[in-house]
Amino acid sequence: MAAAALTSQLNALVNNMFAMGLLDDQFQQLQMLQDSTAPDFVSEVVTLFCDDGERIICELARQLEKPNVDFDRVDSYVHQLKGSSASVGAQKVKNTCIQFREFCQQRSRDGCLKTLDLVRTEFYDLRNKFQAMLQLEQQIQACYPKH
Amino acid sequence: MARKMIRVLLVEDEEINRVVARAALKAAGGGGDVVDEAENGAVAVQRVRDAAAPYDLVLMDKQMPVMDGHEATRRIRGMGVTTPIVAVSSDGLPADVEAFITSGADDFTSKPLSKEKLGIILAKFRLA
Repeated sequence: MAAAALTSQLNALVNNMFAMGLLDDQFQQLQMLQDSTAPDFVSEVVTLFCDDGERIICELARQLEKPNVDFDRVDSYVHQLKGSSASVGAQKVKNTCIQFREFCQQRSRDGCLKTLDLVRTEFYDLRNKFQAMLQLEQQIQACYPKH
Repeated sequence: MARKMIRVLLVEDEEINRVVARAALKAAGGGGDVVDEAENGAVAVQRVRDAAAPYDLVLMDKQMPVMDGHEATRRIRGMGVTTPIVAVSSDGLPADVEAFITSGADDFTSKPLSKEKLGIILAKFRLA
């Protein structure tokens, strides 16, 4: 019974993430790639995204604080974040990265700073939901002890 | 349905993309494939040079530290290697694709890799 309730909660959370545009069909592709030989595949990819994202966002803030911003370097970091967002299906973060790269091309520090704020908010919102998702999955697995 | 085993060199600097690519290759029927990885173009050139047996396919990222995908592709072709090289990048503008083909790549596909995209690539190069 507990497993059923938890599964229902998990499904509602993930469906909501799709409905809000946080996730795109790449996340469904990841779910389909998970099987009994790689039971933690989605969790692995999500964790890599969360770790990468945190590191990159800190680095972007650092780069944009410099008196002479190296926009090519900033663009390179945004490109990385866009790539890992695309890999996990993080649609909103990915789309914001596309805007961010345009400001890098324009050499606009203000544009970059505003977009960094936006991507930071979107990233942490998604990360929190991913963490809730992974917690629910662990709780569900705990309902089925391994023999 | 399982297909014949192939040797693949996956050239990609970001771990998350390597994890997804490996899973997509396995889903495309490649549970038995030998998948070597290189985290940048320079390591890729080394792997190709030192490989005990030729690779059947190289999947090459564009933007990487040390040596990018264009340069690595040029150098691999310069060694006389004819293994199919497929560029993999999230930058899919015509100019990007053309630049890769000019460097010596045989084809281009967009990131992230999927079972479907790999199926098309494997069929194109008769590796399916």
